[in-house]
Amino acid sequence: MSKRQLPEGFQDLEPYLEWSLATDRERSIKRQTSPMTKITAFYQAVVPRMDEILAYLEQYPLEQVPADAQRLFYLTLSLAKIAPAVEMYGEPVPEGLDTLRLENIDIYPTRS
Amino acid sequence: MTLQTNGATGGKWHARYPELGTGPVPIEPYISLEYFEKEREHIFRKVWLNVGRVEQIPEPGDYFVKDLAVCRTSVIIVRGHDGQVHAFHNMCSHRGNPVVWNAKGTCKMFTCRYHSWTYGLDGTLRHIPDEKNFYGIKKDAHGLTPVAVDTWEGFIFINVDPRPKETLREYLGAAGESFEGYPFAEMATGCSTWEVDVNANWKVCKDAFQEVYHIFSLHNKSTGAAFASTSNPYLNVHELALFGPHARISVPANLDWKPTPVEALARRYGMLALQKQGSSSQGMPSGVNPTASPDWSFSGLIYFPNMCLFVADGGIIMHTMWPLSENRTHWEARTYFPKAKTLAHRFSQEYSRATFVDGVLVEDGGTFEKTQSMLASGAKKQVILGDEELLIRHHHKVTEQFFNA
Amino acid sequence: MALGKNKWHDRYPELGTGPIPVEPYVSPEYFEQERDRIFRKTWLNIGRVEQIPQPGDYFVKDLTVCNTSILVVRGKDGEVRAFHNMCSHRGNQLVWDTKGRCQTFSCKFHGWTYALDGSLRHITDEHNFFGLKKETLGMTPLAVDTWEGFIFINVDPDPQQALSEYLGKGLRTSITGYPFEDLSTNCFSWHTDVQANWKVAKDAFQEVYHISTLHRRIIGDVYASKANPYANALDFTLYPPHGRVSLSANPGRKLTGVESIVQGFGSTVLQQNNSASEELPAGVNPTGYPHWSFDGLALFPNCLIYVSKGTYLTHIFWPITENLTRWEIRTYSPQAETLSGRFSQEYGKVSFRDTLLEDASTLERTQTMLRSGAKKEIVLQDEELLIRQHYKVTESFLNA
Repeated sequence: MSKRQLPEGFQDLEPYLEWSLATDRERSIKRQTSPMTKITAFYQAVVPRMDEILAYLEQYPLEQVPADAQRLFYLTLSLAKIAPAVEMYGEPVPEGLDTLRLENIDIYPTRS
Repeated sequence: MTLQTNGATGGKWHARYPELGTGPVPIEPYISLEYFEKEREHIFRKVWLNVGRVEQIPEPGDYFVKDLAVCRTSVIIVRGHDGQVHAFHNMCSHRGNPVVWNAKGTCKMFTCRYHSWTYGLDGTLRHIPDEKNFYGIKKDAHGLTPVAVDTWEGFIFINVDPRPKETLREYLGAAGESFEGYPFAEMATGCSTWEVDVNANWKVCKDAFQEVYHIFSLHNKSTGAAFASTSNPYLNVHELALFGPHARISVPANLDWKPTPVEALARRYGMLALQKQGSSSQGMPSGVNPTASPDWSFSGLIYFPNMCLFVADGGIIMHTMWPLSENRTHWEARTYFPKAKTLAHRFSQEYSRATFVDGVLVEDGGTFEKTQSMLASGAKKQVILGDEELLIRHHHKVTEQFFNA
Repeated sequence: MALGKNKWHDRYPELGTGPIPVEPYVSPEYFEQERDRIFRKTWLNIGRVEQIPQPGDYFVKDLTVCNTSILVVRGKDGEVRAFHNMCSHRGNQLVWDTKGRCQTFSCKFHGWTYALDGSLRHITDEHNFFGLKKETLGMTPLAVDTWEGFIFINVDPDPQQALSEYLGKGLRTSITGYPFEDLSTNCFSWHTDVQANWKVAKDAFQEVYHISTLHRRIIGDVYASKANPYANALDFTLYPPHGRVSLSANPGRKLTGVESIVQGFGSTVLQQNNSASEELPAGVNPTGYPHWSFDGLALFPNCLIYVSKGTYLTHIFWPITENLTRWEIRTYSPQAETLSGRFSQEYGKVSFRDTLLEDASTLERTQTMLRSGAKKEIVLQDEELLIRQHYKVTESFLNA
């Protein structure tokens, strides 16, 4: 048995860990390249648990998030990303400009 | 002349501004290289342009560079040791090389990569390597060339005209005043920027954000369903108002909208940039929800020439269109949200950003190049504007005034 | 240097025999003149009627070279119509799909709706407009006509000639009776963008002089024989601005193992040996040669149609810039009735594609060197007559 990846009580979501992605670009690509069946399965597995998940995540100060909670948090960001595909469009991405043409830039100072 | 057709009397908004007329508008401004050159000389090289916000350079020595192809220059914006924001043409006084090559950073001095001429944050020339080999050079006459700069509500504006005709405050006029006091600084603690070059005239892009008539149609699967209601199927707006070259738009929400499951979750932990169900404008300045409508969603300052600034209860959306040529535009889209306090709050903002990317960047952005390709066909010589598209008509009139000034 | 027996050029002394300039292949200014004086003035083949068999069927053709996108639709009355794909409101592209079937066209931007005949049917939120007359705001039509099932459009609002005049009686008669319709039920289509001037691409298919070298491994012996080592043509006939070439097959050629299998089940892409042309109209295989292979029609400016027995194919070259071209290849043959027939067609398709890959390998290399400025002219031999004709016809269009 491999090591637990998600916090206690959320291990049933581990089959969806492929959606636990740290960057916006990774989440965009995942959405764009996944078939609707896969997106919908992820949506249906996570939405019923969201009350619980968000309440759980609320307990951590932003500077001290343990790795397993961080993975769970990235799952919620992917849900935010794919929700419009399921709830509005019925297809992975709406017709229009190719999102991969968009350059996401951080204009605020980056201090080391 | 009297026209029989309904609406010919001027409609709700056009009747207030009869000087704009109601006829079709020529396509030439969208496709002509000569017209574009006039826009460059009479507008972009003459007026105040928003290049960013003060949060981009909070500390002395923080700087960013803005390439302004339309003004034929690149500008350094820097916070000096005096705490003031300064702007300079990004050009070394020696042989013209750009002094700064990074997009942003922090430094004590600017050193040109070409021959290491060094300038202070105030633009003065501090050091010329091998100075004795130059001929009677006076260092104090060779600082960086300053560009007029000023701020309004934390937004940084520059003007490449060596002698601007108006101050920024004068240029903003009553339109700007009516948004003063909105909590810009509080909202702008978090910023996301998307940039893309599109093969379309900059006004094709701007026009899409100067009217909401298209929302029920183009965005019918996303925001269209939410905003348009049975009583207002085409999302006619609360207000369109003109202030000199600028304008204001205020857009209703749909009080009957039932949020989707994930939207409801996101709403519970934060405010969304576009409130579909109506939100509060309590304590906001007069330009924000100017009609004090209970079903208010967001209001926008349409700043001439190239900025659309939309403010809501929960955040800010801003578009800036930087012309590159008559059929190419660098489009900058930004969302500003307060810094998230918890992970759940971050999730909420992420949802808001995702719907912004889909509904605005992808769906609106998807029309630009298609429209441009047809405007260039010559198949038609003019476009048609309805009452709700007043601000597009106004933009063309203002442009004519600038050309004839 | 003239050899004295240059029979094709002797027929057409007005074309001359000198070198031709490289400039037309590399100059942006020349390209802009081609755009304005040729592509925006002449009839262009954009597809076939089989693409839109039923009322409401449509397809969209982006014509960068004409600065437009075109919507071609079959109306409720069965007529084929073409329109600039542009909404009368603020100019957005009306249809975003490449093909489909519908009752009306609705603009995605603001929902303005047009009938199949181009008339404006519905303006959303109409009372907010000012004295609009719907009947004046239909889609902008384009001249469209068909010939032998090919759909041609002309973006000139006032075309100087009808399509039949432009094609000319000689050319039309030469092919009348060829079973285009029967052969068009099954179409394989490819396209690719190549970094070469559109004429570099077209030239490669206007002469077969290169076959014995470039394609020696695949089809080197299909047309060339001991008696005719450079696959000299049977005939060239010009129908200005168009032209035609007729080619022989190598009667002595031995089929490969797979070829002899497929030959039993139907035609492959171009007849590769001894094809009888008896059932074809008199204008096809004009010399009545017993070992005929195919005839190539060069329709000015950008379309080639190769007709053979049991199959035909088209090349259309769509200029994008002076050194970028969209090359469209379509082969047509009857629907295979058996699986072995399908196998045979698949073989034909693949072997044809291999030939195209070899052709494509020269195009970008040629363009690179033409742009180098190292030489200002290229030289043409007798069998490259159609390339010379294209150059001369273009000159006459540019100077008209």
